[in-house]
Amino acid sequence: MTRPGLVLEVDERTPPLLVHQGEGFRLERFPLGTRVVYPPDSLPGLRDLDAGIADALHHPLGSEPLPDLLKPGMRLTIVFDDLSLPLPPMRAPDVRQRIIEQVLELAARAGVDDVELVAANALHRRMTPAEIRHIVGERVFASFWPDRLRNHDAEDQGGLLAVGVTPHGEEVEINRRAAESDLIVYVNITLVAMNGGAKSVAVGLASYRSLRHHHNVHTLRHSRSFNDPPNSAMHHSYHRMHRVLSDAVKVFHVEATLNNDQFPGRFAFLNRREWEWTLTDQAAFLAARRANELAPPAVRRRLWHRLRAPYQVTGVHAGATEDVHALTLENVYRQQLTEVHGQSDVLVLGLPYLSPYNVGSVMNPILVACLGLGYYFNMYRGRPLVREGGVLIMYHPMPAEFDPLHHPSYIDFYEEVLTQTTDPATIETKFEEQYATDPWYVHLYRNSHAYHGVHPFYMWYWGAHAREHLGDVICVGADRRTASRLGFRAATTLADALEMAGETVGRSPGVTYLHTPPMTMADVR
Amino acid sequence: MRLSEEIRALRRGRAPVTRSAEPWVPRPRPRPFPTDWARTPAASAARVIVRDLGLRTLTWTSTRPRVHGADLLAGIDGPVVFAANHASHLDTPLILGSLPPRLRRDVAVGAAADYFFDARWRAAATALAFNAFPIDRNGTGRPLDLAARLLRDGWHVLLYPEGTRSRDGWMRRFRLGAAVLCTDLGVPAVPVVVRGTYQAMPRGGHWPRPGRPAVTVRYGRPVAPREGESVREFGARLEDAVGRLWVEHDEGWWNALRAPVPRLTPRGPAAAPWRRIWESTRPVPVARRRVWPR
Amino acid sequence: MLALEYHRSPVRYLAAGRLPSRLHPPAVPSLAPMRLAERPEPAPPGPGWTRLRPLLSGICGSDLALLAGRVSPYLSPLVSLPFVPGHEIVAEVIDEVFDETGELAPGTRVVVDPVLSCRTRGTGPCPPCAAGHANRCDRVNAGHVSPGLQTGFCADTGGGWAERFVAHRSQLHPVPGSLPSEQALLAEPLACAVHAVRRIDIPRGAKVVVVGAGTVGLLTVLALRELTAAGPVTVIARHPHQRRRARALGATDVLEPRNALRGVRRATGGTLVRPDLGPAHLLGGADVVFECTGGQGLETALRMTRAGGAVVLSGMPSRPVDLTPVWYRELRVVGSYASRDDFATALDLASHAALGGFVDGVYPLARWRDALGHALAAGRSGSVKVAFDPRAR
Repeated sequence: MTRPGLVLEVDERTPPLLVHQGEGFRLERFPLGTRVVYPPDSLPGLRDLDAGIADALHHPLGSEPLPDLLKPGMRLTIVFDDLSLPLPPMRAPDVRQRIIEQVLELAARAGVDDVELVAANALHRRMTPAEIRHIVGERVFASFWPDRLRNHDAEDQGGLLAVGVTPHGEEVEINRRAAESDLIVYVNITLVAMNGGAKSVAVGLASYRSLRHHHNVHTLRHSRSFNDPPNSAMHHSYHRMHRVLSDAVKVFHVEATLNNDQFPGRFAFLNRREWEWTLTDQAAFLAARRANELAPPAVRRRLWHRLRAPYQVTGVHAGATEDVHALTLENVYRQQLTEVHGQSDVLVLGLPYLSPYNVGSVMNPILVACLGLGYYFNMYRGRPLVREGGVLIMYHPMPAEFDPLHHPSYIDFYEEVLTQTTDPATIETKFEEQYATDPWYVHLYRNSHAYHGVHPFYMWYWGAHAREHLGDVICVGADRRTASRLGFRAATTLADALEMAGETVGRSPGVTYLHTPPMTMADVR
Repeated sequence: MRLSEEIRALRRGRAPVTRSAEPWVPRPRPRPFPTDWARTPAASAARVIVRDLGLRTLTWTSTRPRVHGADLLAGIDGPVVFAANHASHLDTPLILGSLPPRLRRDVAVGAAADYFFDARWRAAATALAFNAFPIDRNGTGRPLDLAARLLRDGWHVLLYPEGTRSRDGWMRRFRLGAAVLCTDLGVPAVPVVVRGTYQAMPRGGHWPRPGRPAVTVRYGRPVAPREGESVREFGARLEDAVGRLWVEHDEGWWNALRAPVPRLTPRGPAAAPWRRIWESTRPVPVARRRVWPR
Repeated sequence: MLALEYHRSPVRYLAAGRLPSRLHPPAVPSLAPMRLAERPEPAPPGPGWTRLRPLLSGICGSDLALLAGRVSPYLSPLVSLPFVPGHEIVAEVIDEVFDETGELAPGTRVVVDPVLSCRTRGTGPCPPCAAGHANRCDRVNAGHVSPGLQTGFCADTGGGWAERFVAHRSQLHPVPGSLPSEQALLAEPLACAVHAVRRIDIPRGAKVVVVGAGTVGLLTVLALRELTAAGPVTVIARHPHQRRRARALGATDVLEPRNALRGVRRATGGTLVRPDLGPAHLLGGADVVFECTGGQGLETALRMTRAGGAVVLSGMPSRPVDLTPVWYRELRVVGSYASRDDFATALDLASHAALGGFVDGVYPLARWRDALGHALAAGRSGSVKVAFDPRAR
């Protein structure tokens, strides 16, 4: 039994607490009475992962065992999550590799010749061969690359198939190879409660035509939060689409959940609670922080992005999507959920160097906004951690840096769209279509390693609920011009930020600090 | 003319021949790259350094080679043909490095003329480092003349009868060149099987995978052509011998002896390409101590 | 007569030319081969010439390039040293002038078309002049006036940066009484801008980019909007006040230079490609690009024009560029020098309301170093046009 999550109340004896701030971290003294939300300690992993996977495949939930589904002469498509999961990338061997290898072993034994592997990268960038090899492993890569192991291409009109329309009029269009298969085996990692389940195939293999029905401002404003599927309009849409899909193609879902071991040995102190730091941890903190400050920016970025997380797998479940996902969510909540009583006036977030969309590149301002207002703000169940009209304070340096290879449309979004408005609804009606159909972005998405032209819009919509809910957003240590372009305000220190927040929430606000990473989700009663 | 003007005029020294003065030149016949120089004593001495000190050290530090059956080579006293399977550029340095120095000194390696002998620098380097000689795989002319001459001169010859590196880790059907040489000249052939090099450094790789992958070289008993045996019969016998070594690697000597048509086993399953690669890249189980050494 | 004089000084010319451009504002006024001198008043060199008293005399980009040693030696046979610069002039007629085009009373305000063509030189018309292209005159170094392509580059006529100069009757265009001198000063650069947009045919709805938003760039935007049916006009401007003014003059979109290619791509379509070395370029892009920076922007201009499009050189090009896009994209590169019968239109346009406040630094001749320093840093200091008032002390 691991230690459950904790809500700490800062008192005189509380040491300064760790806050992530882009490619760096710092210690911050919080005002007395601040509530700090810690996740449960890392759960122990499965002792024998391979046996766990084999058991899941042979005794699935709501489905025949996988070996019985495999017949000679059938078309089998194995679909797997792309590099946006998990974060940071998992130390080799990736759990997806181990699952895929066992699935292929069964397929080979059953004499299935027509097998293809497709990465479910939707409108994310194409992965490089090295990134794919890291996910699927050397052996799978050697056997299938490049003809039968591919990135999904959401703009290849011949490679898509309109499967049907939901009762709500939502078009379901996915990868043709997958749609025309006798069996899809979806290999998933569920890192947060938003991932997995009905989302996997319906989103991962979809096209823009299909995605716009749930990736839009209206849906996201009514997803409260999108990490709580029963209360998320987005997930309702996923489920409707999944029902259409299930009629057309058989999906065998394999989902894995991870524990909270996000940082390897040297950085293990980042996973511990500050008052439990040993002398070694303190020394490691000091050394890491100094070294990080002294390193030239390019070296620092490379080092951060070379981090591989020593995740352990807390569970593998296979079978019918709904049955599997229920257990998966249980595992995720067991690892991440901490009960919090009541909302507060101010929510403090430390934003790290990595979001799902900048693996191997710069976290640009739009991704920062998305990580803070989208992902972290929505790490709640029930009610948001901050009251309506409250203030969000987040830490990030927010330099106006972009990776022209991965994020070309983000640059134009930042320079053209955000200079005119920051209102998600206006942006959606005025610009989305233009960017989604711009042939250059389409070309770069298909042939280079660029996110789709419409992707920055989705990042912006991700924060739509938070923008509606919050009274003000203040960024500590941020570039002032960038912050104002995003519609935020910049402050130098936490004290200044709290002072600025005072205009909105009064002189002595209640403050909550969501201590993350590692992943922490609040169950606000 | 002033000196400077004369110099300027002469700087056109590389001007093309005037059209009306162009001499008639017969079209030169493509000649194989000459490699005799690589078998002079001086080149042999240089080769000892390049091959035995350089390449062998490099190969032995970046992989974990195991050698079986080298004792069977003790009885060799005349020129022989080494016939090996081929999956990787690692094969040649491994075989040469694992031969006893007495034989290694006198081995010439047959190398694809279109791959190794197309650029002069690469041809010279290959000839020097491996004592390689060109074999025209497209079979125009008489590709084996040079090999026959070398055998008559007392050199051993290393050939890859498959003719190319494997694409999926499995062996392909042998071509008959090696068998022709043996039956024509009456020299025995030594079957050789190299395993693990496909996983260590497949086609397209330029360096062995990190982590010192395990590779194995396995020599078999020399096979000599019998009186009145046809090339085809001898070829099949040689392929069987190689196949038996392949099976011996996986299942042991006893099982190899009982294999019905051993030359078919290394050809792999008749299935989709992915399954062939999938099988040939199956990780090697951790070695157990055997009660009966092979 | 007090006058600013450009004289021959190879040392100063070379020294100024080697300066990095960010040192120009502080260093060029002291290094330039320029001096304030007492000179005899120029006498009318022939019939039809008359004496004028400058009221305002602008500092043009080409004057600054000259002082900074950035002008191509190509032009050196076409000037006569020492000369008094200044070719953007609002002046007052001193003596009564009669001729076939009418009478100019003393004290009449005029603007000067600076081109010194055959008519002013007393030679018969050369072929371009005969065809009506006075700005293309072949005889700018002939006749009874010493060589000089324009007033302000000629030793005999003097120029605007002095208390007196002479001009030919055909150069003078009376200023309507309602037009303040500050806006009349813009007539000469406006005439150039009008000429530039008339140099090529701009179809209805054409996508136009103006590179540079100094005087020339801004006035080109005005000319485009008033005289053509161009579609979206995108302006590339470095400084915030230039962006504001460009919008006021009718620009659809204003971009910063570092974002120029991407912004033009968004506005005009096409794809952006990035060579292994050197700056990126567009496949696709604008139909017509006006280069109004005096050289720095030409490279960008060539790289953002669509295949078969046109690049108009409004500024004096001052540096070599990679011409590969001209060859590969089959671009038309069109030069536009001075003006030709465009002053009437220019004087009409000069009354445009958005041009108020363009002339915001007026200096006496004695403070010429301050004036040049200000003009060299005009963009950064929020100014468009800096001028001399030779009457002031």
